[in-house]
Amino acid sequence: MTMEAKTHAIDISAMQRQNQTLRLEDETIALTVRDLELFYGEKRALHGVNMDIPKNRVTAFIGPSGCGKSTLLRCFNRMNDLVDSCSINGQINLYGDNIYERGIDVADLRRRVGMVFQKPNPFPKSIYENVAYGLRIQGITKKRVIDETVEWALKSAALWDEVKDRLHESALGMSGGQQQRLVIARTIAVKPEVLLLDEPASALDPISTLKIEELIHELKKDFTIVIVTHNMQQAARVSDYTAFMYMGDLIEFGVTDTLFTNPEKKQTEDYITGRYG
Amino acid sequence: MTYEQDNHSNHISQSFNEELEQIRTELLTMGGIVERQLTDAVAALIDGDTKKAEQARKSDKVINDMELMIDEQCTLIIARRQPAAADLRLIISVSKAVSDLERIGDETSRICRHAVELAEDGRNIRGYQEVRHIGNLVRDMLQNCLTAFARSDADLAYKVAKQDKEVDQEYRSAMRSLMTFMMEDPRHISSVMNVIWVVRSLERIGDHARNMAEHLIYLVSGTDVRHSSLKEIKKTVKEVENRE
Repeated sequence: MTMEAKTHAIDISAMQRQNQTLRLEDETIALTVRDLELFYGEKRALHGVNMDIPKNRVTAFIGPSGCGKSTLLRCFNRMNDLVDSCSINGQINLYGDNIYERGIDVADLRRRVGMVFQKPNPFPKSIYENVAYGLRIQGITKKRVIDETVEWALKSAALWDEVKDRLHESALGMSGGQQQRLVIARTIAVKPEVLLLDEPASALDPISTLKIEELIHELKKDFTIVIVTHNMQQAARVSDYTAFMYMGDLIEFGVTDTLFTNPEKKQTEDYITGRYG
Repeated sequence: MTYEQDNHSNHISQSFNEELEQIRTELLTMGGIVERQLTDAVAALIDGDTKKAEQARKSDKVINDMELMIDEQCTLIIARRQPAAADLRLIISVSKAVSDLERIGDETSRICRHAVELAEDGRNIRGYQEVRHIGNLVRDMLQNCLTAFARSDADLAYKVAKQDKEVDQEYRSAMRSLMTFMMEDPRHISSVMNVIWVVRSLERIGDHARNMAEHLIYLVSGTDVRHSSLKEIKKTVKEVENRE
């Protein structure tokens, strides 16, 4: 093509790339869930869930209270092991490794699959020590390595500029939104592969919520993120894929844009549009 | 999920139901006014009734106001409710359909203006047969369009898209005969030109009605069928039927 022709032809391929639609088939899968059933005593909380969670994407779980979304999230790093009456059938694979196999080091699994909870839970230590904690437990003692990682984690959690001059002050003096970002920094400091967020912004004000959402958007470049949220608009804003759960069943799982504009199932439509189920 | 007629009811929030019902009702009311205006404009032209033409032209103000009002309502619902799925599609398609209705109103006002000029010209004008014929076709399209919106009837909307093709054909043949009139008698050029503008406006109204039909199909099916062939539209509509 001559230069002249090039300047006259309008190229919209860049626009199309921006709007490119995601397809689960094209993704690398981080977590596979197969026929997962979970019982709390006699009560079946998950009814044979099957899903694939793609790598470096944000997957949101939505659904009414008690639908099993947090329960499913907790399965990914075996938090449910801590519940006495809980029993699990089925399989969850993290990059091909069955995480429920005998002999799995659960502490190591939880390093690979980090978790952030609804309420910020910083340790009653300094900001610096909160982030360095995981590294120290791993046996890292070199100050230079720890310093660098703490800075990296705080920068990644969009907190560095706000705390760099008071790293050795208590973390409990921070605002709720800052504490939650600190907890995220603490979680990512040990470089997990998957980040589980259980209602990470529901206790925060709207501005802190937006900061967390922006952070999620940034973090997906490095981590696979799974988020449970009651806020459907939040799921629509931050996630690439959305799973709608209802009474322990996975009703619909698909690309967020499609799920929020043209869902396949009536139950999904009723839930996201605020109708009686 | 397919959109059905009473889809916008059953929200937990009763006032949300009412807001959605309201924009749909207002769209249909506005459609009724536009339809009346179009009928009057064509009749005024054919009967040489300048008073009627002037009156029909006045509806344009009401139509413009309604466009602003409905659009504002749509904006407010989006801001307040963050609608999703079929609710969101309803608002988007109503907002777009309103723009098309307003454009139909503009074209109709133009017809009224030409009707006045032609009536004042006073001579025996040729080409009215074509105007009447295309006018009826286009009015039928608009009616079908509004009925389709009232009933969420994708099949009827597909019929409107088909009718647009018919209008285009009639438009081309009308143009040919109007050209012939001008060549036959150059004294008629200015009046026949007025008729040509009218036919042109009617053809544009047909296009807008087709656009509205496409918005309705998007509302019902979730598939954007703008710039699609009739065949593709038919396929989408069939899929909707199969889902039901």
